This record gives sequence, structure tokens and C-alpha cells, in this order.
Amino acid sequence: MKKPFGRLVALAGVVAAIVVATAAGATAHSNKASSIKSGGTLNVGWEQSFGFTDNMDPTGEYLGDAFGILDNLLVRTLVGYTHNADGPGNAIVADIATTVPKPTNGGLTYTFKIKQGVKFSPPVNRQVTSADFVTALEREANPKDGAQYAFYYKPIKGWDAYAAGKAKSISGIKTPDASTIVFTLTTPTGDFLKRLAMPAAGPMPVEVTKCFEGQPGKYTADLISTAGYMIKGIDEVDISSCANIKPAAGYDGQTILDVVRNPNYVKSTDPTRKNYVDEVKFMVNASNVDIYNKIESGQLDMATSSIPPAVLKKYATSSSKKQYFHQNSGDRTWYITMNLTQAPFDDIHVRRAMNYIVDKDALRQGWGGPTVGDIANHLVPDALFGGQLKSYNPYKTPGNHGSAALAMKAMKGSKYSTGNSGMCDAAACKNVLLVSDTRGVDPGMVATLQQDAKKIGITFKVRQINGAYPTIQTPSKNVPISERPGWGKDYADALTFFLPLFDGRTIIANGNTNYSLVGVTPAQCKTLKIGGNCTGVPSVDTQLDKCSVQIDPARTTCYENLDKYLMTNVVPWVPWMWSKVTRITSSNVTHYQFDQFATTPAYAMISVK
Amino acid sequence: MTAAPTTVGGVAPQTVTRSGFELFWLRFKEDRAALLGAGTIGVLIVIAIFGGPIASAVTGHPNTEQYQQIMQDSFGLPKGPTSAFWFGSDGEARDLFVRTMYGARTSLIVGVVASGIAVLIGLVVGMIAGFYRGIVDTILSRTGDVMLAMPQLLISIGIVAACSSNKNGCVIAGPIAIQPGLALVIAVIVIFSWPYIARLVRGFTLSIREKEFVEASRSLGASDTRIIFREILPNLSGPIIVYTTLLIPQSILFEAALSYLGLGVPPDTASWGGLLNDAQRYYDTAWWLMFFPGLFLVITTLAFNLLGDGLRDALDVRAER
Repeated sequence: MKKPFGRLVALAGVVAAIVVATAAGATAHSNKASSIKSGGTLNVGWEQSFGFTDNMDPTGEYLGDAFGILDNLLVRTLVGYTHNADGPGNAIVADIATTVPKPTNGGLTYTFKIKQGVKFSPPVNRQVTSADFVTALEREANPKDGAQYAFYYKPIKGWDAYAAGKAKSISGIKTPDASTIVFTLTTPTGDFLKRLAMPAAGPMPVEVTKCFEGQPGKYTADLISTAGYMIKGIDEVDISSCANIKPAAGYDGQTILDVVRNPNYVKSTDPTRKNYVDEVKFMVNASNVDIYNKIESGQLDMATSSIPPAVLKKYATSSSKKQYFHQNSGDRTWYITMNLTQAPFDDIHVRRAMNYIVDKDALRQGWGGPTVGDIANHLVPDALFGGQLKSYNPYKTPGNHGSAALAMKAMKGSKYSTGNSGMCDAAACKNVLLVSDTRGVDPGMVATLQQDAKKIGITFKVRQINGAYPTIQTPSKNVPISERPGWGKDYADALTFFLPLFDGRTIIANGNTNYSLVGVTPAQCKTLKIGGNCTGVPSVDTQLDKCSVQIDPARTTCYENLDKYLMTNVVPWVPWMWSKVTRITSSNVTHYQFDQFATTPAYAMISVK
Repeated sequence: MTAAPTTVGGVAPQTVTRSGFELFWLRFKEDRAALLGAGTIGVLIVIAIFGGPIASAVTGHPNTEQYQQIMQDSFGLPKGPTSAFWFGSDGEARDLFVRTMYGARTSLIVGVVASGIAVLIGLVVGMIAGFYRGIVDTILSRTGDVMLAMPQLLISIGIVAACSSNKNGCVIAGPIAIQPGLALVIAVIVIFSWPYIARLVRGFTLSIREKEFVEASRSLGASDTRIIFREILPNLSGPIIVYTTLLIPQSILFEAALSYLGLGVPPDTASWGGLLNDAQRYYDTAWWLMFFPGLFLVITTLAFNLLGDGLRDALDVRAER
């Protein structure tokens, strides 16, 4: 009687082992677990320049590629991620906190307990306390310290008063003892935990950060780590006084970032990071061709770089190279932005017509074809809606090649189309300024857009700028249209698209991310020196406020509806691609894993020979 | 005793009077390389004027039309020469033959116009500095030296970037503005080219102003303007013509360099430099992108250089052959 039961248990065990192994492999998108080993150096090429938005200072840095470095290698937060691909990679887990807290007080209060044994790297060498989180968040709130996503923390009680210099502390953050921190919010915020998982909310030692007050981006060269690695040479920095602090040798801001193991890191306090390699070097290289030659020869192991189409083709199609070819969801939308205050895009008919006329497939073809991404039919990548809007395509055209007939039909009724001809034939439709960049893909995109828009009577005056973002991000430049923008999620919540990109209240003079100026008011136009048609610009601020306080599943539904509303009633963009993140690794890499939160390689989970 | 004239075969030799141009032509037409250069330039000018439209008409492919369905593979890589696309397609799936023909126009316009303006400025500045000397010379020459000391490419990048960030370009004064594109590229080339010519002209002027014929003219009461334009300028024509022919290919190459860096003419305007810039993305898979525009660029540069050498030899009687 026992034998059959024993066999059944053994069989179940084998099946379970297979299932677990398969699941682990699928999740990690990796090589076999048996090939994982510790040690060695991971060499990462970086094309052109680091391109950090705040020199990788956690307070202000807003580049996804930097999130991948900070989150995996240098900065731990109260709660964090598993550094995995896809859905599991977006799940919140406890990191420095003992557990993931449930909100209390009607969703207004979050209480965290901090683990013992989490220490700052040398030269600070002490236990992380609750006060260190306050230091980081006060730095985030202080406008002089370069924060670029402080708006995420505005729901914390007293945040605005502190930011305005009207209070000496943030009243909504309390530290009853060294291992407890309590957040009180002014309004329930369904994604508050995800906001706390961003690098800016990681602990900072005041004994070092006090030396960098009012100096955005300067702290990075002396960044004190709490994770498995630290900047090389930071242990030799003298922090006895601010005058003695010199930049650590491992980061020069221009050509190299070199991180080595943090001797104060206690693995047992960290449930997620594996920290296989001994050292990670990020090295800037001017040529992406050279980068991929070096990857093929093993001098580099992977890269943050555009991939030349020929290299992409070789690795995507060659059976011997495919094992080094890794693709994951990028949670990123590439789009053509249209300025709602500038003619002829101040007319919704024209914006709708543009959505019909653009050959999205041609744009994608210039980037490398279907391998690099999926055609975007609406604003937020389907992955963030769990695929709920997969069939939603309000501007469908045959083969995604665009349709002159549909575009001309949409144009009818436009004030720029005389006699309902369906053509944009007013003077405002000619020589419309189009701001482009100098990337390799831009000339092809511009050519496609010119060819398409001409079919409905719109012609462009093209300005090609090396680094077009600062121009697009300055509302007073009055840029009517640009094909440059792309936006990736900050964390797995659709709010991270809608808030920065469509909230009229977030429009600022420089570094503005609401390029279309959705919700801009005449008063703002006057203040920001925007010249154009500022009356009656549609706003979604009310809908945004409504959605942001929701909790799933109502939250997702609310954002889905907002996406639809924007696509049909506001039409600020022509979304055209949801790109995948493609990485090519060298034969030295024995285990590759993707970090879905940062949408970068999970550097802490990669092993080399 | 009167010496008897030397005779050959009993016939006295005749002295033939030749004009300066005839003397120049006699020397120049013996230089086959220079003639080849001149002929090639003639052909290139015809291509620049008529080549683009004719190429479009013959192939049926407009300059900016993309043919992604037939001239790109599924990874967006351009396809090579075919019977319909003689030079293959560029990186944006346009007909490279048509683009190369249109590119000739851009490159030659930049070369000729930029060189012409630079020569004009350099000539005026150089003659004034060399003729008047003293404080005028010091100011003009030092200004030129400052320009020569500037890092050309970095300043060019700065100027082009600054003028590209808004619709109105670089506003100089009131309605006068330099728009990004061909005009700006020409302006950038002129800014960095005139000092070379000014320095050259100044040197010649300093020498010529001391010649006897200038002294004679001055003693007859000629004004400074007359001396500059009637006595000095004609004597500068030789070196200026030679230098201009050498400056034209330099300007074409500078435009190519600016376009290669993405700072040249707008992406929809074909230029050889822009096509070469495009080629760098595909240099190991699409040889035609580098080959055809590069070939035309080399031929043009070579032709102007050969012509320049030939003109120098023909105009400068002291030059060794």
C-alpha cells in the first residue's frame, strides 16, 4: 500500500521539479542555472555618453538606464522589486523594510519597520536608520537639489510646505524610533509603495549629503551605497569634513563607472539580489559598431546602445548567435507629439488625420522592423493594462501603412481645410516646424512623415538638432510637432505615463514632459511665454485625479478609459511603436536576466565566466 | 660694324606678340590632367543642374520617395543595386542614384558659393590690411588669426545647434536671420575660410604695393582706391583663381563633414556628405551607400585639385613643371 503512494510522491516530486525549473527558466529568460557562477567582471559598453539626466544622483536621475544601475547595484529602498522579467519583475517585495505594509487609516498611513544589518558602504560604515530615509526624501523635496520626479511624493502630508521652505520638516514623515518610519498621506494613493521603490527614496547618510546641498548631480561621485556594490574607490574618500570629500575614483561622469563589491553588504538582509559578479564596469564608447564588435570578441559583455541593423539581423536570425540575443517588453511607447497650441495641430481634425495618415509600419521598418517592437495603437503599452486594450485601435489602417482616404475623411470639418476638401490647404499647413534629432533613425522617420503628411497637404520645415529633447521640453520654443519622443514607465502603473505627459498642472518652463501641452491654460501660456492658440485646450486633469486615487482593478479600468478618451477626444500623439528591449551578450555571459522595473539588464543577477 | 642679323635658312624669325591669356592657354592646354579636371568639372556642373530631375524622370523615382516594401529587408536593411535602382537604396529606402545626382547640386552649390563669398571677404580684408598696414593691418590680421585659432568643428557644432533650436534660426538683426540648412552651412564655411585667403592676399599686397608700377601710379596722383583696384587686384588674380579652385573641394568636404555629423543640410535635402553620414550605419553590409557618393566626392575633389594645379602652373611662369 505504501509503495504506490511513494511512487506517486516521487513522480509528483519530479513533475514539480520540472515545473519549477521550467518556470524559473521562463521567468529569467536565462541560460541554465547550472552555468551560474560567482566572480569575474561584467563589462558594459555605453554608446556616445552616459546621458544621465542628473549625473546619476539618485535624487534627480530620471533615466531608465540609470534606474537599472542604481536599483540593482547601489541603492536599496524600503520596498523594491525582484529584478526579474515580465509580470513577476513588477511585483513589489520588501527590501530594507521587514515586510510590505498594508495601508491603514483609509489608505492614508503606511508604517515600515527597518531590517537590522543593512549598513551603508564605506566610508560611512553604519546601520541604516529611519532618519536616512527622511534625509533622502527631504533632499527630493528641496527644489535646489535637482529632483526630477518630486511630483510623485506630493501626496505626503506637508511635502509642499517643506518644498516651499515654509516648514523645517515634512510633517507626513515620522520616525518614532531608528527602525520605524511612518508616512501619512493627504489622499489615498494606490501606487504609493511603487513610488517608494524608486531610487530617490533610498536612504542617504546626512553626514555626506549635507556636503552637496544645492549642488544637483554632485553627490553621485561619492554616492554611499546600501546594495551589493559600491563605486570603486569610495572607501578611500575622507568624509571627516566636507572640504576633504573628493570624488571616488570609479566614476568620472564622462567615460567610466566602475563598481566593486560593498564589504558592508549583508546578503541575508536582501531577498532578491544575487550579486554574482565581483565588479561591473560601464564604459562609454563613441561607436555602436565598435561596441558590438567588442561584444562579439568578448572584450565587452553587453551594452546600453542602439544596435546596428546588421548586428540585429545577425543575432536574431543566426542559430549559433540566438543564445546571445535577449528580448523583453520595454514598457515604452514611441510617438509623434503634436502641440495642441500650435497650428495646424490646434485643430483636432488635423490631429486625427495625422493618426490615420502615418505609415507606422514604415516608421518601425526604419528601426529594424517587427523584431524591435509592436505597432502601438494607443498611448500606454498594452502590457501595463494586462492586455485589456489589445484590440483597441481607433485609427486602424490596412497593414498599419496609413490611409489617405481615412485621413482626408477625418480632416473634413477642419478650419484648415477649405471647402471640406479633406486636404489641409491653409497657409498654416505649409512649412510647419518639425523638430528632429540626429540619431541614425531620424532621417528615415522624417522622410516617412514628410511623405505621409504631404498626402493631406501638410509640409514640414525640418530642424535637425543634436539632442532635440531640451528644445521639445521648452514650451516657449513653440514646437508644433516632433517625431523624437518616447516614454517608458517609471514603474508598473499607467499613472507614470499620464501624470508626467498629460497633466496640465505639471507644465514647466524647462524640462517639461507634457510636450503636447494638454491642459495648458491661457494664464500658463502667458507665464511660460507660449505663443499660440491657448484657449480651449482640452484638459484631463480631473480624470487624472479621479484615477490616481483608485486601487486595482478599478484603477486600471480608469486609466484604460482615460487612454481611450485621450486617443479620441484629445489626440495629442500619433503613437506608433511599443518597443522591446533588445540586448546582445557576449559568450562570457553565463546567465542573463532582465529587470522589468528598470527595463534594463538586471545587473545584480547576471553571471560571467 | 653692324652685326648681320642671324638667319635660319635665309628667313628672318618673326617676333609673335601674345596676350597674357594666350600665354596662359598655351601652357594650360599642355597639362592634360588639368584639362581632364576642367572637363570633369564641366560634366559635374551639368549633373548639378540637370542630373537630379533627369535621374528622377529616367528611373521614375522622386528624390524623397521611400520604397521600403521593395528596397528594405524585414530588418530595415537597404538593398543593393538592381536594374530599377542602379545604385541601390539609401538607408531610408530612397533611390540612391537619384539622391546622388541631387546631391551633386547641393555639394557644388556649397563649394562654389561658400568659396566665392570667402574669397570675396578674404580679398577685401587682405588687400586693405596689406595696403594700409599699421593699425588697420594689425586689427584685421589679428581678427583673422583669432578665427584661425578657433576649433572649427566645435564652433560649427555650436553655431548650427544654436540656430536650429527655433523656427526663426539665428536672428542677426531684425528680420535678418540665418536659417538652418544650406545657408547656415555656407555661412559656417565662410566664417572659417576667409582668414586663409585674407592672409594670402595680404602677403601678396604687401609685396605688390612696393613695386615700381605702383610707385609710378602713385606719383601720377592715383587714389588709393584706384591703386588697389587697378594696379594691385589684377596682379592678385592668378593666386586667387588658383586658391579658389583648391578651396572649392575643401568646402565640399567641410559640408560633407558637417553633414556626416548631422549638422549639415536638412535630412530631406540630398548631399554627398549626408549620404556618407547615412552610410556609416551600414558600412559592413551595404557597400553601395559608401561607394557611389564617395566616388563622386573623390572625383569632384580630384577634378578641382587637378584644375587648381594646372591653373597654378599656367599662371605662374616661375613654377617648375
